Amino acid sequence: MGHYRVTVDTGGTFSDFVYLNETTHEISVAKIPSTPDDPSKAILAGIEHLLTQGVKADEISYFCHGTTVGTNALLEGKGVRTGLLVTEGFRGIYEVQEQSRPHGPTIFDIMYDKPALLAPASLTGEVRERTAFDGEILIPLDEQHLRMELRRLAKRNIESIAVCLLFSFLAPSHEARVREIIEEEIPGCSISLSSEIVPQIREYYRLSTTVINAYLQPILSRYIANLDQRLNGVGVATPQKYIMQSNGGMSTFAATARKAVATVLSGPAGGITASTLACRTTGFQNLITFDMGGTSCDVAMIKDGQPSVSNRGKIEGRDIALPMIEINTVSAGGGTLARVDDFGTLEVGPHSAGAIPGPACYSRGGTQPTITDCNLVLGYLGEDNFLGGKMRLDRAKSNAALAANVAEPLNMDVASAAEGIVRIINVKMQEAIKAISTMRGHDLRDFMLLAFGGAGPLHAGQIAQELGMAGVIVPLHPGVYSAMGLVMSDVKHDYIRSRLSPLTKTPLEQINHIFAELMQQARAELADEQFRPEQIQIEAALDMRYSGQGYEITLPCKAPLEPRDIGELRDSFDQIHQQMFGHKAPDEPVEIVSYRVRGTGLVPPVQSPIFEKRGLALKDALREIRKARFNGQWVDTPVYQREGLDVGMSITGPAIIDQLDCTSVIFPGHHARVDDYRNLIITMTGA
Amino acid sequence: MSKTQSSAAHLDAIDLEIMRASLDGIVQEMQNSLFRTGFSTIVRESQDASCAIMNERGDVIAQHVVLPLHIGSFPACCEAVLRNYDDIAEGDAYLINHPYEGGSPHAPDMALITPVFVDGLLMGFCASIAHKSDIGGPVPGSCSGQARETFNEGLHLPAIRYQRGYQRNVEIERIIACNSRTPELVLGDIRGQLGSSRLGEERLIALILKFGKDNAQACFARLLELSHLRMRAAISQWVDGIYEAERFVDDDGIELNTPVRIHVIAEKKGDSITFDFTRSADQTRGPANIRPPLVNAAIAYCLIALVDPNIFVNSGLFKAFNVKLREGSVMNPRFPAPVNTYNPTVHATVEAVFAALTNIVPEKSRADGCGSRSIILGGRSTYTGKGYVQYEILGGGAGARASKDGTSGTSVNQSNAKIAPIEIVESEFPTRVERFELIRDSGGPGKFRGGLGIRRDYTNLADARFSIRSTKHVIAPNGAAGGSKGRTGDILINPGQSDEKRLPTRYADYPLKAGDHFQLDTPGGGGLGNPFERDPERVLKDVMEGYLSIAAAERDYGVIVSGESIDQQATRNLRQKRG
Repeated sequence: MGHYRVTVDTGGTFSDFVYLNETTHEISVAKIPSTPDDPSKAILAGIEHLLTQGVKADEISYFCHGTTVGTNALLEGKGVRTGLLVTEGFRGIYEVQEQSRPHGPTIFDIMYDKPALLAPASLTGEVRERTAFDGEILIPLDEQHLRMELRRLAKRNIESIAVCLLFSFLAPSHEARVREIIEEEIPGCSISLSSEIVPQIREYYRLSTTVINAYLQPILSRYIANLDQRLNGVGVATPQKYIMQSNGGMSTFAATARKAVATVLSGPAGGITASTLACRTTGFQNLITFDMGGTSCDVAMIKDGQPSVSNRGKIEGRDIALPMIEINTVSAGGGTLARVDDFGTLEVGPHSAGAIPGPACYSRGGTQPTITDCNLVLGYLGEDNFLGGKMRLDRAKSNAALAANVAEPLNMDVASAAEGIVRIINVKMQEAIKAISTMRGHDLRDFMLLAFGGAGPLHAGQIAQELGMAGVIVPLHPGVYSAMGLVMSDVKHDYIRSRLSPLTKTPLEQINHIFAELMQQARAELADEQFRPEQIQIEAALDMRYSGQGYEITLPCKAPLEPRDIGELRDSFDQIHQQMFGHKAPDEPVEIVSYRVRGTGLVPPVQSPIFEKRGLALKDALREIRKARFNGQWVDTPVYQREGLDVGMSITGPAIIDQLDCTSVIFPGHHARVDDYRNLIITMTGA
Repeated sequence: MSKTQSSAAHLDAIDLEIMRASLDGIVQEMQNSLFRTGFSTIVRESQDASCAIMNERGDVIAQHVVLPLHIGSFPACCEAVLRNYDDIAEGDAYLINHPYEGGSPHAPDMALITPVFVDGLLMGFCASIAHKSDIGGPVPGSCSGQARETFNEGLHLPAIRYQRGYQRNVEIERIIACNSRTPELVLGDIRGQLGSSRLGEERLIALILKFGKDNAQACFARLLELSHLRMRAAISQWVDGIYEAERFVDDDGIELNTPVRIHVIAEKKGDSITFDFTRSADQTRGPANIRPPLVNAAIAYCLIALVDPNIFVNSGLFKAFNVKLREGSVMNPRFPAPVNTYNPTVHATVEAVFAALTNIVPEKSRADGCGSRSIILGGRSTYTGKGYVQYEILGGGAGARASKDGTSGTSVNQSNAKIAPIEIVESEFPTRVERFELIRDSGGPGKFRGGLGIRRDYTNLADARFSIRSTKHVIAPNGAAGGSKGRTGDILINPGQSDEKRLPTRYADYPLKAGDHFQLDTPGGGGLGNPFERDPERVLKDVMEGYLSIAAAERDYGVIVSGESIDQQATRNLRQKRG
């Protein structure tokens, strides 16, 4: 009997599947059309796909799913009817939000509106209670008054309720008692407490995160229950069923159903996790991940094998204060449009041709030139081999669109226009990469660019060269890379507690006591999820800042701490501050703001298959010789089929490498080599 | 195409776009660095700081807009550096915060400017302006609502050289430090500004080297020219005419019963507009004055909002309009007239210009908003003996718009501060916030309702000195197109107690005792259109959400709400009778 890992990343158009046979280490992939009305239908179809190959359902011992059910419900305003409880007198926290408008053009836009309230004022109740900044209870909880408020809300048929009381991160007892009373007054109502979701200082961000959780929790929990039932129905009964979270770790079905908000920004997390595996196989520990698709490009940083994590993010203007993989998104994709305005200025983006009409070369009615049209005109894409030949691209239409809209108005030839447009979009993506790397004090010469997504490997070589990076990696399955990440993830739960105090004046027992509590919570939760003690990893960290400063730096530390660690922490805080921000203030007092613990449940690692040489010849992989344009010159360029490349082969640019769902360009002066894992490793002369 | 023929016609369209995208990236990097490295609450939480890249004459060529007024201030500050130094060299850094010598809105807004050289040639400047928590003067925070001269407004630095050969002048730091109640914060913020500027310098040099000095200069010139041409092209589409409007600021902080008039005649002809402010009030004895760079920035703000919020924001926009100001007036005061409470006057200027121009562009019309205000509490910590300054900036209701309600609890116009988190405020300062909510019925009635103002109540836990610089406590935000006014703001000490006291709109240095309460109400936005034309369902929804009382629904909208529904018949009758 075999053991299979099955993972699925549900996207808008396709659900991407990866099947790993744990015995043979063989990997196969599939793309199944998504079923947005009920995503579990496509998931079942993907399971059937494996079963029809003679695999038994009970051989599937591991299932992991990347879902956008929560994200979509939030973006489309289709969460449940949600109530909110705040400390009496403090409704303004949610209604005012940050008060400010986003920087940039929005400040001038008099039609701008803040995101609508997910829990409207009419469904907001006030709780008579108050805790002070030091945890002292100023006004005890008025239970009678609370029951009256709840009865009022119950009449309005709320399905879920968020509770965020002032300073509950410090003293959670009021929120805990509020939960008990809600359970009595509105039985069956889903409850989200801010002191459980994110016990962190700064009331608005804690509240916003809690409200989003309340708004989505019943939806995600129904979805997961339904999916679990269907999977069990076809015999996939393994307890190892997971959902991907924004922090790059998985969570069990049951735990996800309790913390829906943690999945909202999980979309790109799978690809990043897969990239950390690329660190292990290729030996390159520092990567910039570069995922360029049809409308946008996501970049993220992996340093020393670890993705860069941020502690707060926004989705459509709504704030989520949870650890999430830090991803910078820029409007740059294959469908991004180029145009010339009345003043002869060439604009590339931010608008996109989308799927309809799409690029001009798709022959779906598009007449405006896109990045894909430029790549076709430049010879990087072929007319006949797009999506493995399933779709024909029309180069004449690309030419016409570029000529009419860019080349003629600027009085230049079509190929130069295409080349120029690609340079401009590349600069925009380079700026996005700088924003997460050099802007934080990292030297890009130490980083490889890991390219995936439909368009990433077309542009990666040029971008890496412009940024002075070490080279480019194109993994074996760049088109289903997110699903690949789900095969090799671990379970990760984050815990936080804020407690402001000066570092050197905080009694060590107090620090260790808080850490001990958080660690116990982490261990208990992972044990509940069937992880044995030796499979559990605990990491501790402190959020610290110079007294009075607004941004905290998260510093990993050991727990429990010993007396001499405090001095070391202080020194490394100064050092990291210097590295990140260019200056330090060793005489200023440093404060602890929050305590963090991450509990990781280690899933047995995947053995990445190492491929043997098959004795293939490079000439057999050659599809054609095509004219492609590099630096203003047309060059006869060999086009190879990726599947025909053998381990150990080397290719010197210029060359083009086609595969089913992706094309890689090897620019002149670049060298590509196929490694033992069949990754393409591209380096530049002199690098 | 005649429009493309210009001084920079030889510049490649692709190079231009690449350099523009790179400049955007550089200035964004400077901005992020400044926010992250700022020491004070003002920079880190309220984000009262912004960055720019200028050409060798001090014209702003790139700015990631955080604070729209700074587009006027940067060139004026840079000009002062150019005027005073003929030996500007690589490795220099200049400080200036003088509203008359340079262009700071008020002295706490300190500019740090570094020149950028390539092969010995001055190519431009990287700069930032950041609000300092305290630079001395009679009140904590340095902005006295009762200042009578700039000499009451803290330490003033003309353009001074703070760094030479990348070495800090320690004496300047010592002078600044001993003139501040919060020396560590001020010096920390200045160093953050320096770091941000140096980052910008390094990247700008790399960009110029990549494209060549001539090409880079041509690009800078073309970017300025494009913004200028785009603005003129948009203006030329509008109908010609002469339009007049006026607005009033409550008072100047000294003469409490005299509103300050801001008056504009906008003459639109062809592709240009002239704004004549000469009939505005004489300069004020109190600190309500604003300097010409701010008037220009206020006009640019309105034009960008009306034309295209996505236009490249740079100094080229200023060439599309002319401004007439009268020396000795509130908009062009003579030194040393005080200027620290500039924001109410700028709001009035923005609203007057909007009111005049929306005669031409009615689809962009909107009612007036809440303006902005700051409160400052200063004291000395009983634990550490260290001085502290608690500074908060609050918005309120925005004006209703031509097709929708105004936003509640927001910043408006040129101001854009984040609200200070209660849990941070209470953890750092001896203050307790007792209430934070929107004010029911504060939005001006109209077919589209004005946004609601904010109420924030505080208990003061230790003796402290309290200052407020607000607006629209006397003169309410105007409605538009038949809409009604929003509710005025208010500041009460110990409301409902026997010693209740109302402070004027702007007041400096009120001695609060431990245990005193104070209540700040911020104004609601004006309404737009006849309130009797508002859809009764929307009136009902406002009542259900608690934004409108049942009494106000009847009084202001002619809608009778009974229980949770509308009494349709009674509503029709009432609207007919009164409408």
